[in-house]
Amino acid sequence: MNADLDLLSQRYLAGTIDAEGMTRLNAILAVDADARRRFAEQMNLDSALATQATGWRTEQTSPLPSRPAVRWRFPRTATLLAAAAACVALALWIFDSRHFATVENVAGFTELTPGSPLHGDRHEMPAGTLALVTAQGARIVIEAPAVFQFESAQRLHLIRGRLSAAVPPAAQGFTVITPSGTAVDLGTRFGVDVPATGDAEVHVFEGEVIAHAPHDRRSLRTGDAVTMTTAGHAARETRSAAFIQSDEVHDLTAGLAAGQRARSDAALAQLRSDAALIALLDFETGGGAGSFRTVQGRWPGSRAPEFVEVGDHLQLDLGGERSWPRLTLAAWVRLDRLDAPYQSLLHTDGWAASNPGQVHWMVNRFSTMRLALKGNTLAPGSPEPDSFPDSRTPVLPEVGRWVHLAVVYDSAARTTRFFLNGRFDSESREATAHPARLGPAQIGNWNRTDRKLSGRVDELLILGRAMPDAEIRALFEAGNPYR
Amino acid sequence: MSPAETELHGRFLRLFTTNEEAVRAFVRRLVPARADADDVMQEVSLVLWRKFGSFHAGTDFRAWAFGVARFEVLAWLRDKGRDRLVLDEGVALQLAHEAEALEPALSRQRAALQRCMERVPEEQRSLLLRAYQPEARIQDVAAISGRSVAGFYQWLHRMRKTLLDCIHATLAREASP
Repeated sequence: MNADLDLLSQRYLAGTIDAEGMTRLNAILAVDADARRRFAEQMNLDSALATQATGWRTEQTSPLPSRPAVRWRFPRTATLLAAAAACVALALWIFDSRHFATVENVAGFTELTPGSPLHGDRHEMPAGTLALVTAQGARIVIEAPAVFQFESAQRLHLIRGRLSAAVPPAAQGFTVITPSGTAVDLGTRFGVDVPATGDAEVHVFEGEVIAHAPHDRRSLRTGDAVTMTTAGHAARETRSAAFIQSDEVHDLTAGLAAGQRARSDAALAQLRSDAALIALLDFETGGGAGSFRTVQGRWPGSRAPEFVEVGDHLQLDLGGERSWPRLTLAAWVRLDRLDAPYQSLLHTDGWAASNPGQVHWMVNRFSTMRLALKGNTLAPGSPEPDSFPDSRTPVLPEVGRWVHLAVVYDSAARTTRFFLNGRFDSESREATAHPARLGPAQIGNWNRTDRKLSGRVDELLILGRAMPDAEIRALFEAGNPYR
Repeated sequence: MSPAETELHGRFLRLFTTNEEAVRAFVRRLVPARADADDVMQEVSLVLWRKFGSFHAGTDFRAWAFGVARFEVLAWLRDKGRDRLVLDEGVALQLAHEAEALEPALSRQRAALQRCMERVPEEQRSLLLRAYQPEARIQDVAAISGRSVAGFYQWLHRMRKTLLDCIHATLAREASP
């Protein structure tokens, strides 16, 4: 019976079965559950092979295939012909079954719109963030500057850029190919970063990924990360929050649509003419001494320094020899991880008794903000555990999102007021309060080896006056990239 | 499109994209040729979108889509069965009925194919995928392979058998502790 079934289904598949054979095949399938199962498996394999083949290129050496012609057949009923334009667009998308992925959401990249199918074309995305779902259901976010190209729904070439992937069981085996190695998913969430210079990194947020470099093959589990180099893999710390996930793309898109970027620009322009302005760093003109990566800021195509390696820092010299009785510091920050005890937002060089009032601003080991001024002391009975002015609300829930941090210091009033995302958080009271002193300083580090910030800083404001609460609130609202 | 339509459209796209492969395979198991499956799938996807309003969010989209696909396949079999050799309606109904319970296993088999394909030597793999290209003419692919058409069908049959054996072995290995 089995041999008979095999032969008959072979002819059925080849289209060479005759009427008598078809009768026999039907007869076997009608009565034999096991035969139906075997038959279903063979046909199922045929379908899976067809799916694989759609993502296959005919010549390994030729460029990946460009978008094939849409196969279109008119619907058979008049009702369908009367369908709305939106429906036809959708139908076109569906009928073109050879797409590899579909755009779900896009912020700041006009070449693609939600619903656009992606084929084997090479995409250069100079700015913006893109959320996709592959034909197999893997959800991908790609952040600019990026160059990428699908080879199939299961194979994506990332030549440059930053990608996060959430891969359901149906898409197990989803593979990201980078210039320095390949990441094969085994059912998981992971990120791949191909920086402008240097080797690609693989970060596993959850599950398991196989990282293939030319001479190294390694299984990575939850929390593991490597740099893939031609010499092999080098382990590194995981930066799961450095990767944008699809829900964030939604909020960024909404923020852009609501005109946030223009509001932000207007607010910055106003600040630039503020008489008390000491510095407003938007990092757009590039440069800046130090060692850091330049990546995308809050807006598509904008720039922000990213601090990744141990010694990364940005050096600056602010405010000279002056003393500042009042000082406002504010920054948009995206923290990647919080395990280091101190992460520098702005540290003046050194910490010497001869320099009272020098400023150290950081996220501390309680994940709250701290503004320490050399020589200052807190008022008796203050609750702060380390005897420095600290905010109350941890920034922890904001890891992996842009967050607005601000602090207002007033040496005459002897107060330090903290703000998180525009909201007043807490006030510390001082017994001794020196006027603030700036001068040579580092963003993202202190003395180049300590207190490295893990993440990006976009827009740093240093103002020689005390901003009132309402103005801080307005600053946050104008600069908020989300909606 | 209005925001509500965009919302609905997005929801549909996500569900459809996630389940398309399963529905396509469901259809494929009931009709004789891949081109037939493509034709039926066009109809199925259009009906799914048209009736998406009556789909209750939170319930099983795949089961609902299988129901729609079964209806469309049966209509197609009745229509084409007059001049084509196709499965009996009773057999198709049984296969469709059993598909729901069988789908988890069949879905694992489809996923395992990729791993098995990686073990097929490059030359044979590209020949196989060439034969499965949407617009492929089997005569052309047979010619490339240096076989007669009949010989090439035999070879395809053997390849599928080898792959199915590999898939079974792979899944059995993964199932053991």
